[in-house]
Amino acid sequence: MKGQFLLAYRYLTGRKQRMVLTTLAVVFGVAVLFGMNAMLPGIITAFRHSMITAAGKVDLSISSKSNGPFNQSVMDTIQNAEGISVSTGILQRNVQIPESLGGTTDPITRSASITLNGLDVETARLVRRYQLSEGRFLEPGDTDQAVISYSLAQKMGKKVGDTLTIPSSQGKVDLIVVGILTQFESTTVDEVDVTLPTAQKILGLEGQITVIDMLLDGRVDKATVEKNLLQILGDGFKTGQVELGNELSATLKIGERTMWLFGIMALAMAGFIIYNTFRTVVAERRRDLGVLRAIGASRKTVMGIILTESLLQGIIGTFLGLIMGYAIAYGILQNLGPMIEVFMRAQVGPPEITNTNLVASILLGIGFTVGSSYLPSRTAMKITPMEALRPVTLVVERRRRVLRAVLGTVLIAFAIIGLLTNEIWVATFSTLIFLVGLVLITPMLVKPIAHTFGRLLAVIYAREGTLAQGNLSRQPGRAAVTASAMMIGLAVTIAMIGLVTSVFDGFIRYLDRSLGSDYLLMPSSLVLGGGNLGAAPEFAQRLESLEGISGVTTLRLASTQTKGAALQVIGIDPQKYPEISGLEFSQGDPQQSFSALGSGRSIIVNGIFATSSAVKVGDTLLLETPEGEKEYQVVGVAMDYLNAKIATGYISQAFLEKDFHITTDVLIMANRKEGADQTTVDAEIKAAAKDYPAFTLFDAEAFKNSQMEVFQSSMSMMNALVFMLAIPGLIAMANTLGISIIERTREIGMLRAVGSTQKQVKRMVFAESLLLSALGTSLGILVGIFLSYYLLKALNYAGFTLNFYFPALGILVAIAVGLLFGILAAMVPARQAARTVIVEALRYE
Amino acid sequence: MAIIEVKDLTKIYGNGDNAVRALDSINLSVEEGKFVAVMGPSGCGKSTLLHLIGGLDRPTSGSVMIEGKDISKMKDDQLTELRRRKMGFIFQFFNLIPVLNAAENAALPLILDGVKQERAKAKAMEWLQKNQLGDRSTHRPDELSGGQQQRVAIARAMISDPLIILADEPTGNLDTRSGDEIASVLRSLVSDWGRTVLMVTHDPRIAAYADRIIFLKDGKIVDDTLMSSDAPENARRLKEKVESL
Repeated sequence: MKGQFLLAYRYLTGRKQRMVLTTLAVVFGVAVLFGMNAMLPGIITAFRHSMITAAGKVDLSISSKSNGPFNQSVMDTIQNAEGISVSTGILQRNVQIPESLGGTTDPITRSASITLNGLDVETARLVRRYQLSEGRFLEPGDTDQAVISYSLAQKMGKKVGDTLTIPSSQGKVDLIVVGILTQFESTTVDEVDVTLPTAQKILGLEGQITVIDMLLDGRVDKATVEKNLLQILGDGFKTGQVELGNELSATLKIGERTMWLFGIMALAMAGFIIYNTFRTVVAERRRDLGVLRAIGASRKTVMGIILTESLLQGIIGTFLGLIMGYAIAYGILQNLGPMIEVFMRAQVGPPEITNTNLVASILLGIGFTVGSSYLPSRTAMKITPMEALRPVTLVVERRRRVLRAVLGTVLIAFAIIGLLTNEIWVATFSTLIFLVGLVLITPMLVKPIAHTFGRLLAVIYAREGTLAQGNLSRQPGRAAVTASAMMIGLAVTIAMIGLVTSVFDGFIRYLDRSLGSDYLLMPSSLVLGGGNLGAAPEFAQRLESLEGISGVTTLRLASTQTKGAALQVIGIDPQKYPEISGLEFSQGDPQQSFSALGSGRSIIVNGIFATSSAVKVGDTLLLETPEGEKEYQVVGVAMDYLNAKIATGYISQAFLEKDFHITTDVLIMANRKEGADQTTVDAEIKAAAKDYPAFTLFDAEAFKNSQMEVFQSSMSMMNALVFMLAIPGLIAMANTLGISIIERTREIGMLRAVGSTQKQVKRMVFAESLLLSALGTSLGILVGIFLSYYLLKALNYAGFTLNFYFPALGILVAIAVGLLFGILAAMVPARQAARTVIVEALRYE
Repeated sequence: MAIIEVKDLTKIYGNGDNAVRALDSINLSVEEGKFVAVMGPSGCGKSTLLHLIGGLDRPTSGSVMIEGKDISKMKDDQLTELRRRKMGFIFQFFNLIPVLNAAENAALPLILDGVKQERAKAKAMEWLQKNQLGDRSTHRPDELSGGQQQRVAIARAMISDPLIILADEPTGNLDTRSGDEIASVLRSLVSDWGRTVLMVTHDPRIAAYADRIIFLKDGKIVDDTLMSSDAPENARRLKEKVESL
């Protein structure tokens, strides 16, 4: 380490302001990456924990591969199998208790989720301990008796002898609490235990169970028993816990990936700032580096100084970023915790530090920092002692700039052509090419843009404006680099706002298309799957028979595994569904697809699944069903509003019943007869739905509004993230402006010496900053438009069908932000410049 | 014995119509342990000559031999090592590293050569003390006067015991008194330490400290004069020469 460390350390500590600003950029990137990822495992762990405890302590569990119900006769097969000591069949489902039935009055969900366990009373207590704090356990022959957990009794204020009303497939059912489990025994899940026949009746799943828990003979090998069992039971079964909530996991996974994306984007921005800083640093230290070369520093040593400096900053920044990230995650979990607990019935712990996240954050943080300084360090290495002792001739600089601009123009032209092609990878590459092209062309744009905006500026700052314009044009390379940091921040803002507009519009379209009926009846919580209890077909039939209703269609739900991934299966009526609702197709013909669904084992998959599992129309999928593996032919790629985020397939209800044994509806859509009086029909439906308290009646408009609210609130989270990405742009501006002021200390001293007032110097710096931000904003708008078009293309590739909207709002926001940043970034440097002591400045080296 | 041998040295900057012939077939030889000053009007090629001899720049044609080795054919790494071990540089604007203190600045060539920092700094302290800067060793360049900064630069140039000291207008940025001090220090490097000093200056008073003075004009040597031991007499003769040229 021939002095590199000493020099790097001294340069860092000798330029504290700059070090802080640059390190902040690293801190920011690492904090987003690490913090967000530390938060999600916390939530996922809570969720998993709740699932595991719900299953109780058993040696082995058997369930269907699809997680759906299966015939309870499987129990008999199991009982005779070798190595099993005892076993018990359970029918387990999560059920939402709406507020009207005494569920918790949580303002967000307006309902409470319970786990309804149908127990085989004879065997249940042999497998799992049910210790009671009061009352008695279930007895064979009990019909409307229930044992509930301690926490549920506390929450709902129930004691032995009270009645607990829960929704059922027949509407609702009154259960008499005969026992309450001890607090020790109660898991975090609020459970309601009833006899197996009672549960089957309540859930509309006669003769079905979802899981068999067993204890093994102590002398046998668990793996062997497991293998034997699976052999006896045949395809369609698996061992282990019932994996409830695949849907929720999928949503969480998407969240996790988004956080990574944002983290990496923030880090890339940080990398850009660091690149900028080191580029300026190398330019500023040209003389120092030349002197070092003159007195005997080798090229490698010079390169080493710059790399060591960035390594030190990377280490400090990453370390602080990890702390800040943890603090952010902790803060968010503290605030979101209560809400998550309501949703998942599980306690959320502190942020979790996984090895992957920690190692990846450290590697990326330090790697990005050192990587970003690599090119500047190579430039430093190439500095000859003579170059340092003499100014670079303007002719060479200018010729190099012209060459770069020509190359930049060619690249931009290619990029635009590439963007318009249909290949997503070409478009992605084009986006990179576009950025590179713009970076190359920017130095040539500095003068004309500075000139144009300089005229505007002259209105306010007549004299200082011209000086500022001259300052920028004199060092176009540096101005370009600063502006490009701001460009990235603003481009991301514009693109995201543009994207949000498109997505918002697209989702409303989906909403109209797939939930466009006059009436919607669905469980109060929109999360489909485990948490919602379906209604028996009679409910839909009753609605259809109403005077003012012209048609009814329903959605049914099952889950399966295919191609190694979870797939949510929605059962639709292929004839009625397109009449009342519909899917947004990106592949395949709607009419043909629906008719194929009616005639055989055909499936329409949504874009997310099609992209993630590389499935296209004409492929065959093997779905795990309680009846074993079944072949389904993909006939279309399309999506509906509710399932936009989750890997989903649509099949006919006939096959859902045949293969998955599901006959209950989770979503009912109905249309009013033309000319029918709305008030009368509303009243009719309300009366019919009264017996199904789990279902809430929405009229289309109200539902759309409620969805808009949800969408808008999730967008504000998005906006916060986008804003966080724009901040590094501000840091970059302040950084480069600060550096340019330090560099020009002597010049500013001169200006003061020949009669500039403090105010004039301040105004000059502000004018320069505003010109820089004008340059950055102009470029940001260009890249923003390009990027928003590209992102939309990427989303459409992923299976959405969204229209492009010119990001006018984003551009307005960018102009406002650009102006604001221009002023903010100049504040400290302007004060610093104005306070320059003339004599000291003239002596400054 | 000649420690520096320059043969047909030519340096042309730019090309075509913009070509500037900074040095035109210079031949020169400098004996070991001598103090040689190079004088001449602005743009005559003084600094170019110094840079070429110091291996900071490469000639267009001709050769520069240091201790009998042609440095114009050396690779960058060899040149770097040569500068680090055999040469010391003193510049007009001192060119100290602003973030390092006096001792660290002086120790830099040794540190760059891989010598342990403690040892390098100890040696730097010796040289600072010889230059009456022992009490200023922890000061940064901006806390020192011009004369003091140039003495730090001299300490830096001397620390690796080089054969040759190359000084480019070392007093050009100093007042008369500081200038005289620096010139005496350079003189003592030759007289007391046996080093060879090649100094570029336009000030006859400072050049008068040298043993030999070479005059350049338009890239060519126009005069080469040996000085007597009488400094005031030398100064008077020089003044006349400068005026006549």
